[in-house]
Amino acid sequence: MRSIQANWELLRALVSRELKSRYKGSALGVLWSLLTPMFMAVIYAFFFRLLSGRAANTPSIIVGVFAWQYTAVSVQQGMGCVTSNGNLVKKVSFARTILPISTTVAAGIDYLISLVVQLGVVGFFLFQNGEAWSAKFLFLPLIFIHHSIFNLALAFLLGAMNVYFRDTRHVVGVLLSAFFFLSPAMYDLSFLERFASEMSPWITQLYTLNPLAGIFTAYRWAFLPSADFTPTVWMWTGMSFPFVLVIMGWFVYKRAQRNFADFI
Amino acid sequence: MTPVAIKAENLGKRYLMRGMAPQTLLSSLRKGFSRTPPEDFWAIRNATFSIPKGSTIGVIGPNGAGKSSTLGLAAGTITPTEGSIQTEGRISSLLELGAGFHPDLTGRENVYLNGALLGIPREDITKRFDAILDFSGLHDFIDQPVRNYSSGMYVRLGFAVATEVDPDVLLVDEVLAVGDIAFQLKCLDRIREFQRKGKTLMFVSHALQTVEEFCDEAFLIHKGDLVQQGNPADVILEMIRHHSGEGGGIYAQEFGTRELEFTDVQLQDENGNQPDHFLSGSPLKIVLSYTAHHTIAHPVFGYGIKTANGQYIYGTNSQILHQDFGTLEAGQQGQVTIAFDPLYLREGNYFLSISAHSQDHETQFHRREDWYPFRVKNADEAQGIFTQPTRFLS
Repeated sequence: MRSIQANWELLRALVSRELKSRYKGSALGVLWSLLTPMFMAVIYAFFFRLLSGRAANTPSIIVGVFAWQYTAVSVQQGMGCVTSNGNLVKKVSFARTILPISTTVAAGIDYLISLVVQLGVVGFFLFQNGEAWSAKFLFLPLIFIHHSIFNLALAFLLGAMNVYFRDTRHVVGVLLSAFFFLSPAMYDLSFLERFASEMSPWITQLYTLNPLAGIFTAYRWAFLPSADFTPTVWMWTGMSFPFVLVIMGWFVYKRAQRNFADFI
Repeated sequence: MTPVAIKAENLGKRYLMRGMAPQTLLSSLRKGFSRTPPEDFWAIRNATFSIPKGSTIGVIGPNGAGKSSTLGLAAGTITPTEGSIQTEGRISSLLELGAGFHPDLTGRENVYLNGALLGIPREDITKRFDAILDFSGLHDFIDQPVRNYSSGMYVRLGFAVATEVDPDVLLVDEVLAVGDIAFQLKCLDRIREFQRKGKTLMFVSHALQTVEEFCDEAFLIHKGDLVQQGNPADVILEMIRHHSGEGGGIYAQEFGTRELEFTDVQLQDENGNQPDHFLSGSPLKIVLSYTAHHTIAHPVFGYGIKTANGQYIYGTNSQILHQDFGTLEAGQQGQVTIAFDPLYLREGNYFLSISAHSQDHETQFHRREDWYPFRVKNADEAQGIFTQPTRFLS
């Protein structure tokens, strides 16, 4: 019991450190966690319109891009969770598993703050179109937890890997931008239909194995009254991956942590 | 039987030489294909020891011997490759110059973070915060990011936190060397207080005198072996005899033109024996045997003595004392005796340096720096490192 309480204290301290150090010395501080995805959403909405020639569904893009931002930040911070805390890892003995958990929780808190803004912006668009909120948004906490589990799994795996292979950072940088385009962040699943009908339906099936396909679609469904969420078997499979991955990540991390201090 | 605080059995830690540096994917691929096994070395191996609760252990040994690894293993930051190490109670450690601080956070924030790392509730830290601040003496800097701290300030705060959180076991790795004198004294006071409270202490130090003064037991580690453990004075002598003295150590050095060369040096007591230790207040003779390879006019012989901590205590030479050895012929062999009667040094370990140089100090013929370790024991109750002849008058 004592150790659970101690770990809870530590998690709190690390999360607050993570949040503090992220914005320390920047004039706008925590506003950046809103501004970054906001700018991204505006840019994507603009180019989406320019490229596809049809009006972008701005609320849909905002929801997708903010959600993506949560994964991106989790991955970037989680990857360095051990290496950037070398000083702690080498000098103090504590439950190392708290490190990736703390970066993910910190990113999650950022995202939760941004949810408030998202609700506002989406509400504005709904109001403009004369639509009303649906009770679906009550599902947001569940989707958020599901999403967080996926992000945590990535933090476990990449955080441990980065200790042993420092080029993880570069590889992940490239893969992350590919992942962005392979996830329905700046577009929704309807965008795929064209490819599926022109080429082969298995493109959609394969695509929806990406856990984020299901998760982002679920977010849209919860936020936007008009959005659908009708998962196929493929999508359910994809959405089950986070649970498998997080258990795998936990064990990989536990195994790897024995030698963390030697490699930092 | 006293309860055990730290217990190690057959403890070993191996490092892979290539694994030491962070790898890249490419290098690990290459390694996968190469057939040569990676080089490794044992930072510490086959170490078995048990440290009773409430005792103070000093870990000594040359650089790179495995002292810090042993401490890291005890602290739990390093995982043993073989064997096991177990500790009882809450451990607080200062490894590699300081606590785990985050450079972007202020001193205050780091104190709380460190408390959390050690598993101490926030309220407890709040209660002790003033004591920590007072001990560190960083009142003006506590709300500055620690990246702006000097190394001394860093250590001050680290030591303050590590000791103020009331650990059962304190592990300290050579941190005392960084602070200024005032702070060092404060630290030593704090260590005494720890001892009084019956806490267990294990510290790595090159300050052999400090180890001798403070520790119940010393561990000598050399090239990954726990060579000796026991009474600090004996272990320290072993260390300077076999692992740093007699030309084998890191401090000892020898140089000169060898126009005049020392062939033998003996430290003798009044009976001409070479004992294990000398008694303070009794005679000590240093008998230098030499060979002159050239004709040398008026050579000067000298000596110097340092404490085990490296502090220079005394040195003189035959010129200062107006003793002339005339002219030595090429090939001539002879002896010079340096007589201390009596020996004023008191209990401790010392290093002797000897030299022979030319009259004008231009040419160093032969010099052995810190070459000869010797040990002195007290014959009476007085304290300190040398005897000040004293009379009490009334």
